[in-house]
Amino acid sequence: MEGTIKSKILDADGIRRAVTRIAHEIVEKNKGTDKLVLVGIRRRGVPLAERIQKYIEEFEGVKVPLGILDITLYRDDLSTIDIHPVVHETDIPVSIEGKAVILIDDVLYTGRTARAALDATMDIGRPERIQLAVLVDRGHRELPIRADYVGKNLPTSRREVVAVRLKEVDGEEDILLLERDDINIK
Amino acid sequence: MKWQRKDILAIEDMSVEEIRHILHTAKVMKEILMRPIKKLPTLKGKSVVNLFYEASTRTRTSFEMAAKVLGADTTSIAVAQSSVSKGESLYDTAKTIQAMRADVVILRHPSSGSAKFLADILDPAVINAGDGQHAHPTQALLDIFTMQENLGKLEGKNVVIVGDVLHSRVARSNAWCLQKMGVNVTFAGPPTLVPVEMEGLGVKITHDLDSALPGADIVMALRLQLERQKSGLFPSLREYSHLYGLTTERLKKTGKQSIVLHPGPMNRGVEISDDVANSVDALIERQVTNGVAIRMALIYLLIGGSSNVVA
Amino acid sequence: MWWLKDVWVIDPSQKISASRDVLVKGGQVLEISSSLTEKEVLEKAQGESLETINGKGKFLFPGLIDVHTHLREPGQEDKEDILSGSRAAVRGGFTTIMAMANTQPPIDNRALIEFVCRQGERAGYAHVLPIGTVTKGMLGSELVEMADMKEGGAVAFSDDGKNIQNSEVMRLALEYAKLTGFPIISHCEDKDLAGEGLMRRGVASGRMGLRGIPASAESVIVARDLILAEETGGKLHLAHISTTESVELIRKAKARGVDVTAEVNPHHLIFCDEEIGITDTALKVNPPLGSRGDREALIEGLRDGTIDMIATDHAPHTQAEKARPFAEAPFGIASLETALSAVWQYLVLPGRLSLDRVIEAWSDTPAQRFGLPGGSLKPGTLADMVLFDPDFSEVIESAKLVSKARNTPFLEKTMQGFPVMVWVEGRLVQRDRTVI
Ligand SMILES: [Zn+2]
Repeated sequence: MEGTIKSKILDADGIRRAVTRIAHEIVEKNKGTDKLVLVGIRRRGVPLAERIQKYIEEFEGVKVPLGILDITLYRDDLSTIDIHPVVHETDIPVSIEGKAVILIDDVLYTGRTARAALDATMDIGRPERIQLAVLVDRGHRELPIRADYVGKNLPTSRREVVAVRLKEVDGEEDILLLERDDINIK
Repeated sequence: MKWQRKDILAIEDMSVEEIRHILHTAKVMKEILMRPIKKLPTLKGKSVVNLFYEASTRTRTSFEMAAKVLGADTTSIAVAQSSVSKGESLYDTAKTIQAMRADVVILRHPSSGSAKFLADILDPAVINAGDGQHAHPTQALLDIFTMQENLGKLEGKNVVIVGDVLHSRVARSNAWCLQKMGVNVTFAGPPTLVPVEMEGLGVKITHDLDSALPGADIVMALRLQLERQKSGLFPSLREYSHLYGLTTERLKKTGKQSIVLHPGPMNRGVEISDDVANSVDALIERQVTNGVAIRMALIYLLIGGSSNVVA
Repeated sequence: MWWLKDVWVIDPSQKISASRDVLVKGGQVLEISSSLTEKEVLEKAQGESLETINGKGKFLFPGLIDVHTHLREPGQEDKEDILSGSRAAVRGGFTTIMAMANTQPPIDNRALIEFVCRQGERAGYAHVLPIGTVTKGMLGSELVEMADMKEGGAVAFSDDGKNIQNSEVMRLALEYAKLTGFPIISHCEDKDLAGEGLMRRGVASGRMGLRGIPASAESVIVARDLILAEETGGKLHLAHISTTESVELIRKAKARGVDVTAEVNPHHLIFCDEEIGITDTALKVNPPLGSRGDREALIEGLRDGTIDMIATDHAPHTQAEKARPFAEAPFGIASLETALSAVWQYLVLPGRLSLDRVIEAWSDTPAQRFGLPGGSLKPGTLADMVLFDPDFSEVIESAKLVSKARNTPFLEKTMQGFPVMVWVEGRLVQRDRTVI
């Protein structure tokens, strides 16, 4: 992790409650599960999407389709990032024509990732609507983008870093607020 | 893995890890090619120059499409084949291209080593699209990509490459690529076209195709340049196709449902019979898509991130 | 007058290899003695001004004679000319060079022979001795006026650069050249076997997809020319021998008494085909670099006398010509300025060849074979000589080279062992690596 820990925002229990709530809201807002396609944005959006799929199945008895979106090739900052990003597969097993696509990611910050995900989704097909679900919205948007479902609103400064850790990816389960060690903010 | 290569010149000096990384990236690219909208913003504002000293519509179009899908601009410079010693040298052309501020230069040239020659001069990345009889790395990568799609894991598989190996950049690049992936490679053809020094590539060589076929998972026929007959390298097309032409009957000797590949264009009735050529044709659409995917992967890996941009 | 004190003199013509004092006066070697006192020397100077050189740790040997250089004049002065080539020669330790005839036009008549001689004299560095072509226009069919060209100053005949493919023409040349007493120098290359080849045929050429030249392209012609020389009783000199088979053929021919001599180029003694990279046009040379085994056979042949001499085959080209893909670059290595140092560093220092053998093969033997002045430090002979410092090291840099050409594989490399003083007829023409 790139900084000094300032505080723990949510623990495992808190994450579970937030994700469960999002799952309920998605079903409610879309009046059921008929048109739903869950799409996790690599990387931490993927386990979050899987969890939402599981929760919906628990309380609705329906397994909604789940896809994975890799947005590397849609990023507008490729030539400014230092490490060569490895592209991964996008795998959306069902047609999204006329569907309600729920893009799922861990943190909403500048909005650039969400924009890239919107572009990527629309290259794949023409859904009826696209909604965005995030575990944390930390503010500082650079584009006119907002989330439809938010687990936790967290006002931050640009010096701070929000670290979402999920056990599937990180082996730990919590959300931390960190202070950057170096002043060099990208 | 961290990609650090500036150019794609030959398979010979690539690591297995790099090859796997390219194939992995190509798989992602292929998925994109299957989408209704085949256009990415990835390389917006980047420019790819196609510099072709030999006519090859297939290879050039494949590179152009790869660049366009990734959102790059492409320029094609076709240079007359004959002007080797007359007119502008490759060195002069390189200086012009340098001034054009291209990001990637794709070179097809009749001289072995011309791609490395160009890469040594130029700041932009260079991709070898075939240099003389030396190398054709993108063809080898797309062949192996197709083989992997058909056979899964390639380790321990057997590939026979038959024909004019001596003059073939495709045979050389495929031999390196396949062997790095653990495939057993045999070169087959007459001693004049498969001379003993080709063993230096680590492959087995034989002049008896029929003895090499049993157990072959893939048989690759090379295009026979008809002018080789005039230089006395083989006596007649008739005898050549009798000894080395791929026919359905002959392919039964593999004892398997072997796949036949051919880098094209095929001389039907010479190195390959009509019915076998049809089975190759059946794969062509896939080969074309795979070719674009491989070339997208390479262009992306070379200029997709800032770490490879040479100042 | 020059007094070289305590210098290690190597003069195979007098079988000297020992520490000596050498006096040079009036353009000639005056005396070689075990040691001299200042009083003795001053007496011999007879009032002439005296420069004393401490030769301790250095070698003094006859100025080297290179029987195979391409000076490109007339016709290709962008690559080299007689002035720049003869300056390069003295910088590299050569006081006599034989200029090959494949210029544009080729040196196929007396007027052109005299032109080359005159240009050499005007330049005033190394002695430049012209080789005439064997055939008119180097076209391989009609013999040149050999007797007339001898009158004009020719020292040998060769269609080097092109082999005489027609065996009857070669036979006639060996016969007719008897009128002059000069050898025919054969380039030894079967045109059809060599084809469009770029390097020696072998594993390396196969791997890189660079067209190969089989070793037989040379050996076949070596065999032919040896048979013709034996049959005619003519004088034959074989240029740039590069294959094991050629060495073996020459060894056997010599045992039968054929009047043949052979030369080897330093690059064939130093490099081999495996070392060529696909863009290393500096190593693109004809005949091409052979295998490791060939290199061994050549060294052995030079040691046992089967190969008589070393020659540079100095082949200058412009940078633009060599800055091309391998297939498109011309053959040749410019080597006058680096050859001696390369042989010292790669062959003498590791103990593969003795310096005495090197000097013999590069001075006395060529002088004998081609009937040239020089190649000896006998008192009374013209003082063409080289002071060689085995410890002097230098980076081979473009700015320092006096040849017009830069096509050397040693460019940017540090080399050790160089001539630091060179005299032509007693006149100092190079000092501390600078041509005067
Ligand atoms: Zn020659």
